[in-house]
Amino acid sequence: MSTTVQETNSFKEYFSGLFNGISTTVKGMWITFRYVWAVKPVSIEYPEVREVLPERARMRLFNDVQNCISCTQCAMACPVDCIYIASEKLPEGTEIKKTSNGQAIRLKLTQFTIDTALCCYCGLCTTVCPTECLTHSLDYEFSQYTIDGMKYDYLAPDVIAWRDRIVKS
Amino acid sequence: MQTRWDVGEPEKPTINIETEQLKSDLLTLNMGPQHPATHGVLRIEIWTDSEVVAHAIPHLGYLHRCMEKHSENLDFRGVIPFVDRLDYLASMNMEWTYVAAVEKMLGTEVPRRGELLRILTAELQRIGSHLMAFGTYALDLGAFTPFLYAFEEREKILRLFEEVSGARLLYNYIWVGGVWNDWTSEQLDRVATFCDTMEEEAKKYHELVSMNKIFVQRTANVGVYSLQDCFDYGASGPVLRGSGLSWDLRKNVPYSLYPEFDFNVPVGTGEVGQVGDCWNRYYVRMREVVESIKIIRQVLAKLEPGPVMGKVPKIIKLPKGEIYLRHECPRGELAFHLVSEGDAKQPYRLKVKSPCFTHVSMLPRVAPGQMIADFVATVGSIDIVLGEVDR
Repeated sequence: MSTTVQETNSFKEYFSGLFNGISTTVKGMWITFRYVWAVKPVSIEYPEVREVLPERARMRLFNDVQNCISCTQCAMACPVDCIYIASEKLPEGTEIKKTSNGQAIRLKLTQFTIDTALCCYCGLCTTVCPTECLTHSLDYEFSQYTIDGMKYDYLAPDVIAWRDRIVKS
Repeated sequence: MQTRWDVGEPEKPTINIETEQLKSDLLTLNMGPQHPATHGVLRIEIWTDSEVVAHAIPHLGYLHRCMEKHSENLDFRGVIPFVDRLDYLASMNMEWTYVAAVEKMLGTEVPRRGELLRILTAELQRIGSHLMAFGTYALDLGAFTPFLYAFEEREKILRLFEEVSGARLLYNYIWVGGVWNDWTSEQLDRVATFCDTMEEEAKKYHELVSMNKIFVQRTANVGVYSLQDCFDYGASGPVLRGSGLSWDLRKNVPYSLYPEFDFNVPVGTGEVGQVGDCWNRYYVRMREVVESIKIIRQVLAKLEPGPVMGKVPKIIKLPKGEIYLRHECPRGELAFHLVSEGDAKQPYRLKVKSPCFTHVSMLPRVAPGQMIADFVATVGSIDIVLGEVDR
């Protein structure tokens, strides 16, 4: 079971090997040489040219807090536990608002934070959301200088302002 | 202050050391963890005698993420993203195997369209994985161009997967009960076009690499696993088929809808080199790509409109029991041993039988007596993904 290395070649083997080596190399060179003129380049030069992401692409999460009913289903579905939700009871006598698809908001959302650095972008949280307020947006460039910057508080006014840009419907 | 470098003059001039003394020591060489030829973070400790390998000891665990233990704390749906990360080049196959194990315990019926789409994605993924194996193997042996050609084709598959699932690598697409999203007819048309171009490309790859004299010289008769070795170590997949046994779970132990499909199982024939060497393993993979294209075409002909998700309870609770389910993945036979305690939301134990782990353990068998460069060719030819080895 050892690999056999042929030490000497016969006259015929030597020249057929030589011919084989040259011909297969030339064939390969011809295939690659055709790419000079016959094939269009496929690479996309990223910062200048950007690929259009498909509709379903799972990028940064966005929660539209106006439609959130604090049901915590997303936090329970999350396999890495990166969604932090806190809510409290509405004070007596407040008018109960409704979400865009008609569900009553019975709790006051006090915290909705997602640690994007921990998120694994699996999409399980978005599928369980009953009001479809938690969605994957198409933003993919959000690097930060510190890891704390990856924690998004979706109740902060600047994050709420993303809504105009992100929410599709 | 004396440092450890101040050792003074040597007692004897080194030139007088006898050559026998030089031979007595083996040089320890670490290949990895960042060696490009190991496809990940595999560290192989090689003891070399000049340029000949005397022993090779693989050290694992650099990518260990406690996936098996962690999955015991997740619900059955939550495990799927983690299963993706096992073999990140063939995530669809990993998902399918896990999901099939859960479904079998749950007794879920998968709609026909869902099952066909699973076969479609799994075979596309197999092509993508083999393209990656082809490209990186050529890269290991010093050819850069095939890598770019392979990635050009693989990109088309990834783009399709991205459109249909939302992610390029870790899809979370195959769910318990079916698949997440349906494919549109436009996407299926693109699959058909991809099949046509891929067939042409496969011919090009054979001209460019498979029959190239330099490639043949590097791989033929190198790293030969006899069939007995494969049985002893428990090899599967292209490694076993490259050694000459026609064993494919899709054919021999059919699962899913595979009995409906007509395809061949490529086996190493030894037309170049000998059966069981690197070239035959590589060639088996390239021929499997063509067989996968055959299956995809049949899937496209069979697809009919219909639902893609079956009925699954909102919270999955498996009955008490255990299951061992295996599927044919691009790298071999992947199996999940799933134990449920009964009425639990989490698995009690999830054991992964990984084909790559077996293949890594076969390396010390073939390494002694090889040149280091040949050993690199051997490591590349078994096509390991360390995510699956370490889990």
